[in-house]
Amino acid sequence: MQITQVSTDLGDPGAPGWSAIASEDVSLAPVPIDSQPTEYIRTKWANLPYGNVSTVKMAAAHDGVTAWVRLEWSATVAERNEFPDGAGLYCPNGEGAPAATIGSAEAPVDLVVWHAGRGARALRATGPGCFRPREDGAVAQAVQPAPGRWSVVFAQQLDSVRAAGRIGVVVWDGAGEERAGIGAATPDWLEVTIGS
Amino acid sequence: MSTEVMRAGSGAMRQIAMVFDLNKCMGCQACSVGCKVLWTQEEGEEHQWWMSVNTQPGQGAPKGWEDMGGGLSGGHPVPGHQPSRAEFGGGWDFNYQEVFYGGKGSSVHLKPTEKGDGTTQWGMNWDEDQGAGEYPNSYYFYLPRLCNHCTRPVCAEACPTGAMYKRHEDGIVLRDEDVCQGSRFCMEACPYKKIYFNYARNVAQHCIMCFPRLEEGVAPACARQCPGRLAFVGYLDDTDGPIHKLVNEWGVAIPLHAEYGTGPNIFYVPPLAPYRLHEDLSIDYDTPRIPDAYLESLFGPKVHPALAKLKSELEVVRSGGSSAILDTLIVYNWADLFGPFTTDPATLDRSPQSVAVRLTQKT
Repeated sequence: MQITQVSTDLGDPGAPGWSAIASEDVSLAPVPIDSQPTEYIRTKWANLPYGNVSTVKMAAAHDGVTAWVRLEWSATVAERNEFPDGAGLYCPNGEGAPAATIGSAEAPVDLVVWHAGRGARALRATGPGCFRPREDGAVAQAVQPAPGRWSVVFAQQLDSVRAAGRIGVVVWDGAGEERAGIGAATPDWLEVTIGS
Repeated sequence: MSTEVMRAGSGAMRQIAMVFDLNKCMGCQACSVGCKVLWTQEEGEEHQWWMSVNTQPGQGAPKGWEDMGGGLSGGHPVPGHQPSRAEFGGGWDFNYQEVFYGGKGSSVHLKPTEKGDGTTQWGMNWDEDQGAGEYPNSYYFYLPRLCNHCTRPVCAEACPTGAMYKRHEDGIVLRDEDVCQGSRFCMEACPYKKIYFNYARNVAQHCIMCFPRLEEGVAPACARQCPGRLAFVGYLDDTDGPIHKLVNEWGVAIPLHAEYGTGPNIFYVPPLAPYRLHEDLSIDYDTPRIPDAYLESLFGPKVHPALAKLKSELEVVRSGGSSAILDTLIVYNWADLFGPFTTDPATLDRSPQSVAVRLTQKT
């Protein structure tokens, strides 16, 4: 993932400056069912479809201090969702963290999530849905340019992104009752290249 | 608070339990309201009734909960339905302003404000007193329900974050609302559907067995508020207490839907029923008005010996004898309901300084 240097604040997903930032399609895959942390979840979802969002459009920029990552995707439109649409970015917290399962018990990841109607939260993940609150600022802004269409910008410290060197993406389709480890994530890490 | 917690499946050292005598419950809902006034008055809790009293037969709350799955089969989890906000219903806003202050009291009915989300079409006791059967053989009884603090809490087993857990020292199932991420697998997994979701705070919530009261020696609010003297509280292993006697020794208190497999720790003395009437209105002494099959569908085959025991004890007393079982169930002394939790909350020092000291001592 290329993070392009800019001189303007791109925290707003609708900021005009985003039009100059190249985006790429990132493929997502359902978080593996065998990795789900509880037998209940594995049993319930064994034969149910999930990971409905198979592609997100991703663009990234920085101003030397802050890195902004914009995710855009199409969610399933339903009359009423019991669960909100959401997305998250995560970076390895150490060596050997798996991307496909959003970390593991032995190799956690730092995760920032956004959910519609709930805002942004900073979490530490040790596997699919194995999330615990983390003391860290989490900043995200979202717009919905059309029903079911989301555009979300995550703001993070550039130094943190540089140190991690790689990033993962997870998306939850609310209409599909996706939440916790039931979602779609990048099967492999996206290597980060920071432009100057 | 220093509390040893455990993931589901590892046995609690002791187990708090309750027994409700359904022969005495009159559906006054004092237990429900006592709980609500104490615990569920904050934002997002308007629709929550950690303690609720349903009329049986009935659909209860959430609507049709007995058909929503969850629990265990052969020791393995059974997928369950995620109850929707509409299926719980309740938590209504009313048009008080226009009726009481807006001059429309003669033209507009007081009614729930329609939000278009289906929540005005059901409530905690929506089908109260409807029951089943046809006059003169209609029948119903009341069933107080709360979290069963199961021996095997499938809610905790389903939780991916470990937010839901069972306390080792007394078996109370609690949740850490700072950890809960609102994924609600607990709600699906619970076969009794007594976990609620706080949509404002995005956390699951349920009966906490009034554990702060228990820690001060005070019985749960539902039990203390009950005017019917039917809610027993105590440790299941206390051989001197009524819980152990009613459940383990005499077998007259039995669990609800034991087939759900979770080992519930709320027990019920099943309701004796009046006799059916023949068409000529003579009494059919062979047939209770509440069908045995219906009671068995709720309480399993053990309901029959439990009812037989109650009847035989009644006969003993009517014949001039005495019955320890009936003496226990009559509750001549109110405090006998509460096991070791007989402290009057009004006697507690609740000054801010005292509360701070108690909280400090527990950390």
